[in-house]
Amino acid sequence: MSMHKCGLFYTTYAAEDGLFRSRFQKLCMGLFLAVLLAVPQLVDSYAVSILNLILIAVIGAVSLNLLTGMCGQMSLGHGAFVGVGAYGAAILSNAGAPFVAALLGGGAISAMVGMVFGIPSLRLKGIYLAISTLAAQLILEYVFLHASSLTGGANGLPVSPPQILGFAFDTDARIFYLILAVTALCVLAVTNVSRTRHGRAFVAIRDYHQSAENVGVNLFAYKLQAFGLSSFLAGVAGGLWSHYTMYITPEQFSMGLSISYLAMIIIGGMGSVIGSIFGAVFITLLPEMLNLLVSSLGGIAPDLSAVIVPMKEGVFGLMLVLFLIFEPEGLARKWRLTKAYWKLYPFAY
Amino acid sequence: MKKLLLLTVLALAATVGTASAAYKVGLLSDLTGATSSVGTPYAEGIKAYVAWLNENGGIGGEPVELIQVDYAYNVQQALAAYKRFTSEGIVAMQGWGTGDTEALVKFVAKDKIPVFSASYSAHLMDPAKAPYNFTAAADYSTMGRAGLNYLRETWKDSRAPKLAFMFPDNPYGTAPIPAMEEYAKELGFEIVGKENVDLKAIDATPQLLSLKKAEPDFVWTGGTTPSTAVIMKDAQKLGMTCTFFSNIWSSDENIFKLAGDAATGHFGLQGAAIYGQPSAGMDLIRKITKGEPQMTHYVRGFVSAMVMCEGMKMAKAAGEVTGESIKAALETMRDFDPMGLAPAVSYFPDDHRPNLSVNICTFKDGKLEFVKTTVLERKKEWLGL
Repeated sequence: MSMHKCGLFYTTYAAEDGLFRSRFQKLCMGLFLAVLLAVPQLVDSYAVSILNLILIAVIGAVSLNLLTGMCGQMSLGHGAFVGVGAYGAAILSNAGAPFVAALLGGGAISAMVGMVFGIPSLRLKGIYLAISTLAAQLILEYVFLHASSLTGGANGLPVSPPQILGFAFDTDARIFYLILAVTALCVLAVTNVSRTRHGRAFVAIRDYHQSAENVGVNLFAYKLQAFGLSSFLAGVAGGLWSHYTMYITPEQFSMGLSISYLAMIIIGGMGSVIGSIFGAVFITLLPEMLNLLVSSLGGIAPDLSAVIVPMKEGVFGLMLVLFLIFEPEGLARKWRLTKAYWKLYPFAY
Repeated sequence: MKKLLLLTVLALAATVGTASAAYKVGLLSDLTGATSSVGTPYAEGIKAYVAWLNENGGIGGEPVELIQVDYAYNVQQALAAYKRFTSEGIVAMQGWGTGDTEALVKFVAKDKIPVFSASYSAHLMDPAKAPYNFTAAADYSTMGRAGLNYLRETWKDSRAPKLAFMFPDNPYGTAPIPAMEEYAKELGFEIVGKENVDLKAIDATPQLLSLKKAEPDFVWTGGTTPSTAVIMKDAQKLGMTCTFFSNIWSSDENIFKLAGDAATGHFGLQGAAIYGQPSAGMDLIRKITKGEPQMTHYVRGFVSAMVMCEGMKMAKAAGEVTGESIKAALETMRDFDPMGLAPAVSYFPDDHRPNLSVNICTFKDGKLEFVKTTVLERKKEWLGL
């Protein structure tokens, strides 16, 4: 019987900071990706569309986590930044820009807008900043509705499905691969940022801004960078959303969207990339699960479903409260605990 | 979490078990979201008609199977619900709000699924933009124009009537305003003010005070029944004598519960009959609901399902029932009478406006009362605006 070392032993800092610290992790990631790539061939278009929504939500949640979880800058306007990217990408794409350029352009516009609304963060913290980003949400919603020559106003804006080099991503399965690729890049980007000087500066600002400044972190520059990067990724999520739904209206980027992104990172785990992914999966799936449950109960006991339907929103809220009480560090911690449990199984010493 | 998974598996197993040869129709409803108070009776109306139809021969002997999903007025959930419908093989869909109907315009056009929505945005009536979208009631702009038409008709003074608008600053509220302004000028109204009142407003005094100085004779309220009630109550408090006229979603049977006496004498525009208005369809509804009064939204849902099913019957008579054939059949529909529950419906390949007829109702003695049906000319230049 061959012997394995217990735990991981590093000989360099670089190795300790590696993305995948063991061969087993690499294997799991590879398997996970392989399964993801195979999924559209195995399930129906409903399931693929849910996956698409999840993946877009993942980008939104990961980007908000960069700003709020990592850098500690509370934002209630993330939904509107997603909207800026959605409109930006849609307008560029309608003007004839190729999809990749439109997506990046939408992200860039969103980044600029995000940085403008990030300026108050130099003076405002916590709940005060939250309110100022709420203002951003309201102002941007107003612009979506009233800049009709650009955004189509109340009538909305139709968008064509994405095309790259003549290949149209016009079915759920096709666009799934496109969204998966972009999501993977975004998640990788945020993970990598967290391992650089920038990421450490963000965390330092979150933990205590004065200490951060004392060790040479330019607060204003880094906060703005956090806003810019986060909004850029939010804009990319918006660009994907607009090209996926093919029709955008101001209602899609309301306060509710911002709140659901916040819920994702809170349930997933603040400051953790994998947590944001779990949160996005959880929040997107929860209403679907409840719907399936209600409709199946309707088949068995119609009277019961009439009682349960109005309780759906309540169940959603209850889930959030229970999470905050019993798992304040989110699904990310649950994941760590589960991993640790199986690593030591059956001898938890 | 494990329990949730288990329940999901059970739920999936249960849905798989109910497959049949019926024509499947998606029913996207808001039962728990922001518009659930009107979404619930509307969905009940649809379900009631389909249940009645299935007991009475269905579509050429085949039943219609409704798959209802509550999307809580959330666009993302609507998208997921739609995908669930298509993966279950629906041939048509009953939709709901503006946000979700618009978000699905391109999807339904691509998948060739005719959709009957309860969003009456004018641009959804233009097949060039929304080829698979239908409604069973006239669009918001037409309703506004019909209201203006009626008010101008009954105006006796020699001076020009003064008109003001109160609406929420959202897509639904702003959509009909330009069309109404244009038509009002054409009819010789003097427009004296425009104010925004939020859908969740609990006070409209500031907006009304600024309008009070302009002394409008008529004020358009395009919001929801609660927001209209707030406006009416505050106007009464301020001693304003103007007459309010409100669109299809801004007033219903609940107006007296919310505004009380302040609602008396004002007008509401409706797309379907009020409960109790005599017709063959109303007798049927009475029978189905065992005499329990229903909101006009219920009646409108009933009509919407009836028009859709009529299209399906026509498609069946011509051959196979598919989304494409239903659309084609609907576009040949001329003056279909929904059992007297709503004005007759016609669709054309280049014009999906069901009609340009609007029921003018007034609020009297704690009840909605039908006044008359105003019919406007089907003008080409009004399509989509």
